[in-house]
Amino acid sequence: MKRKLLSILLTTSMLAAVLSGCGSGSGGSESAPEPAAEAESAPAEAEEETAQAPEAEAEETASGEAITLKWAIWDKDITPYWQAIKDTYEASHENVTIEMTDLGSTDYMTVLATELSGSGSEFDVVTIKDVPGYATLVSKNTLEPLDSYIADAGIDLAQYGGVDKQVTVDGSLYELPFRNDFWVVFYNKDIFDNAGVAYPTNDMTFEEYDALAKQVTDTTYGAQVYGTHYHTWRSAVQLFGVLDGQHSILDGQYDFFTPYYEMVLGQEDEQVCRNYADLSAEGLHYSAAFSGGDVAMLNMGSWFISTMIANIQSGEYDASLCGNWGMVKYPHAEGVEAGSTLGTITGLAVTSVSDQKDAAFEFVKWVSGEEGAKVMAETGNFPALMNDEIADIISGLEGFPTDAESKEALKVSNLYLEVPYAENVSAINDILDTYHKSIMNREISIEEGIAAMNEEVGKLGQ
Amino acid sequence: MNENKAAQIRQLETDTEQLMEKIRQEKDIKKKQKLIAEREKKQRKLTAVRNNRVLSRETKRDLVAYSFIAPNFIGFAVFTLVPIVFAFALAFMKWDGSNEITFVGIDNFTRLADDTFFLAAFRNTIIYVIGTVPLTMVASLALAIVLNQKIKARGFFRTVAFFPYVASLVAITAVWSMIFHPSKGPVNYLLLKVFGVPQENLPKWFSGSLVLFTLILFSVWKYMGYYMVIYLAGLQGISAELYEAGSLDGANTWQKFKYITWPQLRSTTFFVVVMLTINCFKVYDIAVMLAGGGDGKLSTSATVLVYYIYQNAFNYWDLGYSSAIAMVLFLMVLIITLIQFRYEKKINS
Repeated sequence: MKRKLLSILLTTSMLAAVLSGCGSGSGGSESAPEPAAEAESAPAEAEEETAQAPEAEAEETASGEAITLKWAIWDKDITPYWQAIKDTYEASHENVTIEMTDLGSTDYMTVLATELSGSGSEFDVVTIKDVPGYATLVSKNTLEPLDSYIADAGIDLAQYGGVDKQVTVDGSLYELPFRNDFWVVFYNKDIFDNAGVAYPTNDMTFEEYDALAKQVTDTTYGAQVYGTHYHTWRSAVQLFGVLDGQHSILDGQYDFFTPYYEMVLGQEDEQVCRNYADLSAEGLHYSAAFSGGDVAMLNMGSWFISTMIANIQSGEYDASLCGNWGMVKYPHAEGVEAGSTLGTITGLAVTSVSDQKDAAFEFVKWVSGEEGAKVMAETGNFPALMNDEIADIISGLEGFPTDAESKEALKVSNLYLEVPYAENVSAINDILDTYHKSIMNREISIEEGIAAMNEEVGKLGQ
Repeated sequence: MNENKAAQIRQLETDTEQLMEKIRQEKDIKKKQKLIAEREKKQRKLTAVRNNRVLSRETKRDLVAYSFIAPNFIGFAVFTLVPIVFAFALAFMKWDGSNEITFVGIDNFTRLADDTFFLAAFRNTIIYVIGTVPLTMVASLALAIVLNQKIKARGFFRTVAFFPYVASLVAITAVWSMIFHPSKGPVNYLLLKVFGVPQENLPKWFSGSLVLFTLILFSVWKYMGYYMVIYLAGLQGISAELYEAGSLDGANTWQKFKYITWPQLRSTTFFVVVMLTINCFKVYDIAVMLAGGGDGKLSTSATVLVYYIYQNAFNYWDLGYSSAIAMVLFLMVLIITLIQFRYEKKINS
């Protein structure tokens, strides 16, 4: 009898061990690790509750109560402005603590959309990295419309130069831009000097640009110089077409891309630029191409300015290869004003699940306003709110090209977003990407590619 | 208490006797069996009551068995069974993960017929499977047979053949993109210098119609080592006596393979083919790494079903449509696997 009891005891204890072992392994991983997590987050939650509970009254009394805002960002360690914004904001708003969560940059918008799906998200403020992702979040009802807040705060949207209109959804705005990058042409002065060719200017037509690229190209084996370089993004080639202000990627008819594809593929044939199939096979980054010293011109976004300055100073890029650089405005089509260019905005939005929306909007307003703009400019980045003072801060940075042309290049006359808002912009974006790839890889001809774009985007509207 | 028990025992005893009587009278075999089962149940209960046990020995034994199955089954149910059933239901819905689910009937499936990208993914996946499965099988079988002989440095060569399978996919795809680089790669250099292929006609291994070929080649190379090991195990299970008998009867190498090795390896081959087919249908990482270029996006020449499922689910948040594509993939794999099982059964009998 005793033995029996013992064996039963043993069996039950063994079973318990097996069951609990599995619990933490696969079976109940949702429940098992909770005790530990709870123990850790308990103080945080308590803190939050104390922060939230008096929030209702705090709305009237404004400041005073401690507030913690959770903010979604990416690449915290290599992007200087997140921390700068947090520090400056906390310094002037003593009761507010900003808690940043780094979701990584590669698939930031996908991860964010997943985080905000269903319940359980804790973010108050989220950074909006691109417009397709923005469209997704808006259609998922995860963002708070900001119109009433904007009206209450008396923000003049005209200060954003019209980009806000390109992300307005059915008359409502769900984000405020705080960063605004625009495309320019970077060039390597040494290459032009060596070739004895005049520098590019702030007022070039595409014909002039094409001719200049060909002029500075050297196809001698071993001493090759590429007149220009196009990164594998479709924006780098296709979007020359939207600069006339009459076309957009939402048109559904893309025949206006044709001349630019012809120009770039023609340049590839003459080895004026590296060929797309090679770039895509080796995954060459545009910064490596330009800093290698064999690329004369590169069309790229203004974010590359701070990269160039920082990397030349740190010695990451060889200054003897690319240290003598400058930049000019984007080339333009015949009859179009110089200074028309592509832009990409980064915005901040308030989540619809946040229970401290006023405090969250206060932060959004601050970052996208003049004070936030200054912080951005001081870290070498372009705020959405551009004025002469801000432009001076950036062109005054150490390492910024000293010539007048480069400073002048910062003045944008018309800014067209790479991807303006539309409900199905995600799908349009992917269709254009796909056929851009096929055309550039020469799997299909330009006509076939454009016809396929027209057809596939046309199907979306049905 | 004791009286109660005695009464219960008496009741049960009379019950069993009555049942016994019924069984004797019953003519219908099926009903008889049912009654017998019922009587056995009563009898078990009777023994349980007599011996003061709450649960009968059989129930206890079953419970122990279930408790051993439970941990695994709970995991399976939570992470596999429920999601599959949910995905099946989702295929008939429209849902973006946040807003309300709406029922759309078979709309998601009718959309498939007119979707260029789905059709391209479908076609590419089928071509990939048809190309990869037989080639990998043949290559791994050949390798296994060669490396089953007593040759010098056998262990070394086995390791070499197995290496691609263990090596990190990211690392080896990077190596492959350099080897097959369209203008700087050694493969194209050889074609240019040794075989005199003109420069403008050099193959672009990662785009156009060639990309599927490269994917197939890569997969065969990467996975043949793994299936080689399975074949090696199969080969070592074949009795040496069979070969000895074959030799005595004057069989040559080919005949030995045909009449001894191949039939003996049939169950191994069946396993290899089934696993290969299933794995090939699930191809995703190789395509994205080799043909995705800088941004990991696949154009129509290289897109595969799993990629398209991901794209619809997490880029467009069209979970219903994505589930519908997943169902197509699931059914395809299911049907092919069933056919394989049926075929195996037919051959065995």
